[in-house]
Amino acid sequence: MTLRARWAGGALGVLLAVPLAACGVLPSMPPPVPTDAVPTVRATPTISAGSDQLSPDGFDAVRRMAVRIRNVGCGEVSTGSGFALTATTLVTNRHVVADSSRLQVSTYDGHDVDVTAASTAELADLALVRTKENLPSAPQLAATDPRQGDPVTVVGYPLGGELTVTNGHVIGSTTDPLNSTLGQVLVTDARVEPGSSGSAALGADGKVIGVVYAKNAEGYSFLVPVSTLRAMLGDETGFEPAPTCAG
Amino acid sequence: MPAWVHGATVVPERPHRTALVVLSVVLAVVVAAAGGLTWYLLHVNAAWQEHSQQWQALAQREGADLAQARSDLEATRTELQGVTDQLTTAQNRITQLADEKAQLGDQTAAQQQLADYQARISTAAGQVATALATCIDGQEQLIGYIENSAQYDAQSLATYRQDVENYCGNARDANASLQAELKK
Repeated sequence: MTLRARWAGGALGVLLAVPLAACGVLPSMPPPVPTDAVPTVRATPTISAGSDQLSPDGFDAVRRMAVRIRNVGCGEVSTGSGFALTATTLVTNRHVVADSSRLQVSTYDGHDVDVTAASTAELADLALVRTKENLPSAPQLAATDPRQGDPVTVVGYPLGGELTVTNGHVIGSTTDPLNSTLGQVLVTDARVEPGSSGSAALGADGKVIGVVYAKNAEGYSFLVPVSTLRAMLGDETGFEPAPTCAG
Repeated sequence: MPAWVHGATVVPERPHRTALVVLSVVLAVVVAAAGGLTWYLLHVNAAWQEHSQQWQALAQREGADLAQARSDLEATRTELQGVTDQLTTAQNRITQLADEKAQLGDQTAAQQQLADYQARISTAAGQVATALATCIDGQEQLIGYIENSAQYDAQSLATYRQDVENYCGNARDANASLQAELKK
């Protein structure tokens, strides 16, 4: 083969190789267009947190756990507040249920709940009331007492009126000015009135931090701390049948 | 044309003809390739144009759906706000009704206590009246017996007097009970 023929063969090879190599950079055919370009998003419920805390009528657990207590005594009628501890047990003050001939309990929506028994604590202004029917909702008890400055929410029936929620903060602790409860009691600036006795005092997480039992002239409210409530609940011998006005 | 190379005569070759053939083939190949490439590029171009139009149509469709969804969302939000307001109103009404029921219960309990009190007073007053009447009747009878004491046995008179004192004692006890009830 002559040099010229070899050169011509090489040129031919290059001419054939260049288009073949160019095929790699040629634009390809477009892919098919999808019929729907909307991405699939997994639906996330926006009210999942705490949705079980709502009743079908939309009331939250804070209100549903509150109960109104009517103490029908021998010659007088008084009212107080309370809150569910379990499905058929509620907590209130000793002075709310004492000296009664009959106790009547109603819930946030006006339903009447029959009372089967009531017992009072000896060493604190606390009482337990057993009910025949289930109560709407029961909160959890806080593990420890709140600290000074912690927020507090009180839910109850001041002056025997409408169910009311008031807010405040823990001011501190002191000895019981009424000498009805041993140990320290909590002082808050949440507004309460007669009839609020037995109301649940809730912390920021919705857990019970105390039980309202008194107020002073300056408008401060006093709570039996949850630690005392837990101690009382842990000692069944600390409760005795509530005294009745009939003796 | 003969060529002289280094003084020797060589046989004339046909390089030009071969090159012409090769070039012709190459040119044919290049032309064919260019034609095929042109056809391919036109075909691809048409396909991409159609592709673009389909995407544009899809985007318009999705945009219309999005606009509709936004409109529906806004309507739903408005409706939800209305329902929320209604729920709040209903809850407030439930709370009010529960309070009204509780107040009525308080009044009923108080009125029941008042009725019980009045019933106890009435019963006690009736017992006082009955006992007092018995006492008075007994005393009148005793006075009559005493006025004609000669006709009766002294022992019987003494027994009857004791009975009358018991009647009047019962009247005093009933009155004491009534006074106690009145003080409650």
